[in-house]
Amino acid sequence: MSATAYRLLDVGAARLAVASPIERFHDDLDRVYPHQEPIAEPMFADVRVTLLPGSRFRPRGRQVTLWADGQRPFEPYPHESALPLFEWGSNYLLSQRLNAHLLLHAGVVARGERALILPASPGAGKTTLTCALHLAGWRFLSDEFGVIDLDTGELLPMLRPAPLKNRSIDVIGRCPGAVLGPLFPKTRKGDVAHFVPSRESFVDRHRRANPALIVFPRFQAGAALRSTPLRAGEAALRVGLNSFNYRALGPLGFQAVVAMVQRSVACELIYGELDDAISHIEALFERLP
Amino acid sequence: MSHDHRSDIALLLRGRHRPLELDEARWEGLLRIARTSALHGRLAEANLENRTITPAVRRHLLSCARIAAYHAQLVRAELFQLTPLVKDDFPVIVLKGGAYLLQHRRLAAGRFVSDVDLLVPAANLRTMEERLHAAGWQAARLTPYDERYYRDWSHETPPLRRPGHSLEVDLHHAITPVTAAFAFAPGSLFARSEPIPGTPFRALAPEDQLLHACLHCFQDGDLALRVREVADIDGLAREFSARPGFWETLLERAGELGLQRPLWYGLHFATAWLHCPVPDTVMAGLPGPGRHARRLMDRLVPLAMLPSDPDRPPPSKVIWARWAMLSRYHWLRMPLRMLLPHLARKSLLRLRAQAAQKEGAPENGAP
Repeated sequence: MSATAYRLLDVGAARLAVASPIERFHDDLDRVYPHQEPIAEPMFADVRVTLLPGSRFRPRGRQVTLWADGQRPFEPYPHESALPLFEWGSNYLLSQRLNAHLLLHAGVVARGERALILPASPGAGKTTLTCALHLAGWRFLSDEFGVIDLDTGELLPMLRPAPLKNRSIDVIGRCPGAVLGPLFPKTRKGDVAHFVPSRESFVDRHRRANPALIVFPRFQAGAALRSTPLRAGEAALRVGLNSFNYRALGPLGFQAVVAMVQRSVACELIYGELDDAISHIEALFERLP
Repeated sequence: MSHDHRSDIALLLRGRHRPLELDEARWEGLLRIARTSALHGRLAEANLENRTITPAVRRHLLSCARIAAYHAQLVRAELFQLTPLVKDDFPVIVLKGGAYLLQHRRLAAGRFVSDVDLLVPAANLRTMEERLHAAGWQAARLTPYDERYYRDWSHETPPLRRPGHSLEVDLHHAITPVTAAFAFAPGSLFARSEPIPGTPFRALAPEDQLLHACLHCFQDGDLALRVREVADIDGLAREFSARPGFWETLLERAGELGLQRPLWYGLHFATAWLHCPVPDTVMAGLPGPGRHARRLMDRLVPLAMLPSDPDRPPPSKVIWARWAMLSRYHWLRMPLRMLLPHLARKSLLRLRAQAAQKEGAPENGAP
């Protein structure tokens, strides 16, 4: 029996291994992980999956299935959407397995070692704002997971491509310097294209950062910029609500969230223009104690 | 199945009890099969203090242990909220995982519990159901056919859940389906039950608890990846074996309830896989299956119950073995004249639902 040939990705807070006979999938991976050097020696992986093509003769189109540890945790995707299935599926598996850390549903960018955390529920514009801040010169740490080390309170980068959806694809795509992966039209979440973080951020994927500013973003088309400072208590509750495992971690999660808001400034930000939001955030950051 | 994979299973079963000294790659393989067989919490419990593990392995074990502790907390909270519904008019027995937890059984550490199972006398089932409804637990909405299936043929009511709670409460009036070949009157279960100190609940007597674990493992549902349930049988047997007279009473009870065959299977595989210390006299005192049945089960049960090679989809022999074991379950659960119409009807309904349902996976809550 020959050993499966896995392709390894070290994304910072986690390591992924994936095998697939689908050529298009590997081409897509090359495009959205352009800075990942091939890793030759076998390595411990947090998630190890195989993407296998379904029957060629399926009347409603060929599909691709994600296999993890001899099981099929998700419904199959259309054959050409292997990359979105891998990204979404491996993130889901990580959210089940990285409970040694506090996992926030948040974008994270940083200036040096000082981090800006953007916790938000889906649809609030978190991914778009995270990518725009990165293009404006901030270091990219993560888009989906804010990974907090429970022992030190530091943020661990998770350098994965950020899935832009529908109109955001164009908004970010036309910014100078933006690198996007292939477009996947009409997935279950609409059109999706992955934003590729810069080489510098990828190289820095093991460099941790400390929480400094927490902004709860909410995009509203046409709205004037409105920024409301939040007291530590409210910020803590909101961070807890935007977490994958705050409840599961019990007192550990509570202590981590409290420590995080105590060393940060927090506000809610409603905005209609990305540029306004970025200048406001940069001004806030300048004024941090 | 590769040699390596087979020895990984042996390692996993050993790693539930004591620290293992392995390299990172081997640990990853072990974690993968531990997760598919839901033994990862136990593995973590036995290895968190292990000084030979690397930070990456420790991170995963810590993650498993924390989630297991959270599940245990959810079960305790659910049971705590159920306590006002237990009055002194009839006994309420907590079955399986919930009982192991409340009774501080050693096997409860790191064991995942997904629902709360309660057993009440059939005559009091309605009352208990009404109390649950009045206190806010709601039944899952079922088709009239499924509702009738539960009422007439099963041994439990449709699962109940309180809005906002993640655990289901299953209310049983027997521990076998009323239609099953192994069905027995559950009266003596209540008569022999024991109070759980500090709670208004009761638990099955130790012998009955072990028999229930065997019944559940080998007669209830498909056998896919049920190795965890054999681990339960092993854990209970180890804990009770120190009690004087336990094995004698166990044999007597198995005889009284007609559960000698499930007990034989349970102890047989617990011994074969987990080196469960069952006295020879006990196995000798149990009428086992015939030669052919035994050879067949020895071939099919490991295929169906033990995790397959995590690097690839389960091979066809595994799928076939799981199918065969599922057929056996249906066969034992109800006579053919009831089973065939039931399965035909379920298949038809499923096909209809598939045709009606638009393509698409639920993606609720996941990133």
